[in-house]
Amino acid sequence: MSAPGSALPAPSVGVIGGGFWGVALALAASRTGAEVLLYSRREQPQLRGGPRIVRDHAEVARARLLVIAVPSNAARTALRALGDHMDGSHLVIHGVRGLEGEALKTVSDLVREETPARRVGALGGPVQEDELREGRPSAMVCGSRFPEVHAAVTAAFQSDALHVYTTPDLQGLEWASALVGCLAIGVGFAEQAGAGPGLLAALISRAVDSAARIAAAAGAEERTMLGLGGYGDLLASIRLEGRPEVVLGKALARGRTLDEAVAEARLRVEAIPLIPRVVAFAKARRVDAGVFEALETTLKGGAPRAVLDRMFAA
Amino acid sequence: MDSRAPIFGFNDARDEIVRTVVDRVVGSTRDPLLAMNEAAYQEAKRLEGSRKPQDIRELAEWQRLARSLGRMHDGERRRRLRELSEEYAWDIAGNFDRRVYQLSSRLLPPVVSALLAPRKLMTVVRDPLKLVSLELLADRVLVEGPLAKLRSLVQRGTAVYVPTHLSNMDSIVFGYALERAGLPPATYGAGKNLFTNPVLSFFMHNLGAYRVDRRIRHNLYKDVLKTYSGVLLERGYHSLFFPGGTRSRSGGVERKLKLGLVGSAFEAYTRTLQSGRERRVFFVPATINYLITLEAETLIADFLSEAGKGRFIIEDDESSRIGRIASFLRKLLAMNAAVVIRFSEPLDPFGNRVDELGRSFDARGREVDPASYVKDLAGKAVIDAARDAQYARELGEEICRAYARDTVVMATHVVAAASFARLRSQAPAADLFTVLRQRDVITVPRDDLAADVVALCDRLRALEQRGCIVLGEDVRLGSGGDIVERAMRAFAGYHSSPVLDSRPDGIALCDTNLLFYYQNRLAAHGVAWDVIAPPGVPSGLQVQPPLPPLEPASSPPPLEEPRGSASSSSSASSRAGEADAHVGSMNGAGGGQ
Repeated sequence: MSAPGSALPAPSVGVIGGGFWGVALALAASRTGAEVLLYSRREQPQLRGGPRIVRDHAEVARARLLVIAVPSNAARTALRALGDHMDGSHLVIHGVRGLEGEALKTVSDLVREETPARRVGALGGPVQEDELREGRPSAMVCGSRFPEVHAAVTAAFQSDALHVYTTPDLQGLEWASALVGCLAIGVGFAEQAGAGPGLLAALISRAVDSAARIAAAAGAEERTMLGLGGYGDLLASIRLEGRPEVVLGKALARGRTLDEAVAEARLRVEAIPLIPRVVAFAKARRVDAGVFEALETTLKGGAPRAVLDRMFAA
Repeated sequence: MDSRAPIFGFNDARDEIVRTVVDRVVGSTRDPLLAMNEAAYQEAKRLEGSRKPQDIRELAEWQRLARSLGRMHDGERRRRLRELSEEYAWDIAGNFDRRVYQLSSRLLPPVVSALLAPRKLMTVVRDPLKLVSLELLADRVLVEGPLAKLRSLVQRGTAVYVPTHLSNMDSIVFGYALERAGLPPATYGAGKNLFTNPVLSFFMHNLGAYRVDRRIRHNLYKDVLKTYSGVLLERGYHSLFFPGGTRSRSGGVERKLKLGLVGSAFEAYTRTLQSGRERRVFFVPATINYLITLEAETLIADFLSEAGKGRFIIEDDESSRIGRIASFLRKLLAMNAAVVIRFSEPLDPFGNRVDELGRSFDARGREVDPASYVKDLAGKAVIDAARDAQYARELGEEICRAYARDTVVMATHVVAAASFARLRSQAPAADLFTVLRQRDVITVPRDDLAADVVALCDRLRALEQRGCIVLGEDVRLGSGGDIVERAMRAFAGYHSSPVLDSRPDGIALCDTNLLFYYQNRLAAHGVAWDVIAPPGVPSGLQVQPPLPPLEPASSPPPLEEPRGSASSSSSASSRAGEADAHVGSMNGAGGGQ
């Protein structure tokens, strides 16, 4: 581990959200020696000895680095409550995949709207929850315009088992994470529909390219989608049989209705409401979004074969 | 007006200010060799080819310096660096003369009256009121915005005014607006080219303006300049910057800012914290709106000429011609509300709103201590250039939003937008230059144009209701016909060729360039053709409505009461946030467990 911070007291990290992802992040941080507080409404008996569970926003906000790990539809409420106990000295990062509302606001936009914090960032990249939890080697990306945030996140999370890459393109990383969530449905769908490795690779590459243009229309840098936070993240979905988006895509390819597919995926898939909004956004900005249009058709129960053709043609 | 503002003691403090600036610049220059080499290189490049004896002399000096730098030992380099910095700092430093200020503050710039009739300058000095009636002027130039709050804030901290920039008249007009609003004068950097006119220069020099030589491009000079403006802020001098960097060539409201000087406020504020004498800084965006713009013709021509886009300094525009200024002022003095200066809600450097007591509030209306934004892990206020550059960038975005909301729409803008839409409808798929080529081709029946104007006004009114724009009186109260009439009267007789011309069969759209210029004022709001969005800014960006107003400050501020109510709502909302029971959709949230 890096030396410069070692003279200082262990950084104190507050994680908000007691779901799989929040717990995994809390564990990863406590593995580096950080003092970690986990705000969770649930009992977390498995955490004995590691992160300390707290039930009060005021208490978790004692940590200077706050990590938001709640679903995107709960982010605004969680941030508003947390904001009552914050000031400008907090660094706030989030690992939330999703864009809010018709305006497609990023979660870091919400942080600025709901809290006094300005030094914000996001986590992304291919790292998986189980890798984090078990300390198996992996890589993640921290996006922030503030070097201080990069430094704090690296200090809190980087270990022999986890490499933290940084990018200043916060918005690009947030868009990449959200769009990859959509595209992973397509990957699952194509795999189930019998696409071979070549076709799959073609689909992924074209999809990433299209997503990069859409993100750029929102003000992000194209190359962020093409990097670890976009392409890298999407590649991880190929082998992830259990990823909810992939499960959903596969169920759709087997001819299930959307509701059945959602039930099969068992977890909320944020990409479902996001896909039509991305299509509308791209249309308004006159960017080609063929892949996302095809995904929209898929969600509406379009014929698998025709959909695959459409995706490939896009 | 508060004559205790630090600028009234500027001349006594000047030596000390210059010394501080030089010490800081020299102290922060890590490699004097590099700094001076770069300076010499840039200066040689600039001066080469000039035939002016002064330039030739300077060039020789720089070349001599460049040659000898390599042989100098470190102490000598530092000494030379200090000398250079000192030279620059003195060149930049301004002057402030209370008598000149009192004189000039009596009228819309005496400079202007002097320019109207230079021979009358002495009359003006003896009796300023003779030339222009102040009451008359009060109707011509409107000053709007949260003036009482600003008057309270300037007692409590340092104001940084950051208005839009259209014209060389702006600094003069803005100085007048400050006076009218009962606000103390502000110091500002003015292009050195403005100091060449002896009359203008006399006033500029004595009104606290400092000189910015925009021809000098090297970092040492920029360092000195930035440090200078920072030291002024730190010492509590209210300052004026035009963050657009240069006059808007297109006529549009700025959507991207140059933040170099604005950025010096962060360091200045942090230094006051470090010295234990916190002095808060308040940014005050403002729009300066003209019925007609003095330099419109030159600016739009420059915008449209490919070559002109790189031209940063224009020295030969209307503002350098006394005849044009005189006819501009005659026009201005003949029309009500011809200039509107509108102050926006003040912000702290971190984009938070502030109340009249100078306290900062976040977007949710919670009080926040601005010092917390510059504190490090250990809770100490630290200067961090990389961090502050980001704060500055975000502040810049916030300032641009304020510009859009406080843009005042006048008759000329609406009529130009309606006319330009007509031009476009003739060639719907055409590019800008094809549209512009239709000079004096189209004549629109009066009633039709008036109807277009009415339709446009309805859209603008809807925007205004959401707080996204402000309608000028003429646009708010006038009928379609009135508005067209007023715009035509404003254009007529000032611009060198007719913009709109009254013909028997209607109104001829003549000067398409100027119609484009005036319609651009509304481009950011989506009510006019937006081909001027700067790179990286999506065109037709939705203007965001303002946040709900802060509760009026009740002094003394309430004690712990709001906290209590806040925490009760927080527990309610976290119950609503129970959704974390099924995460899964977050990053990499491993599925399938």
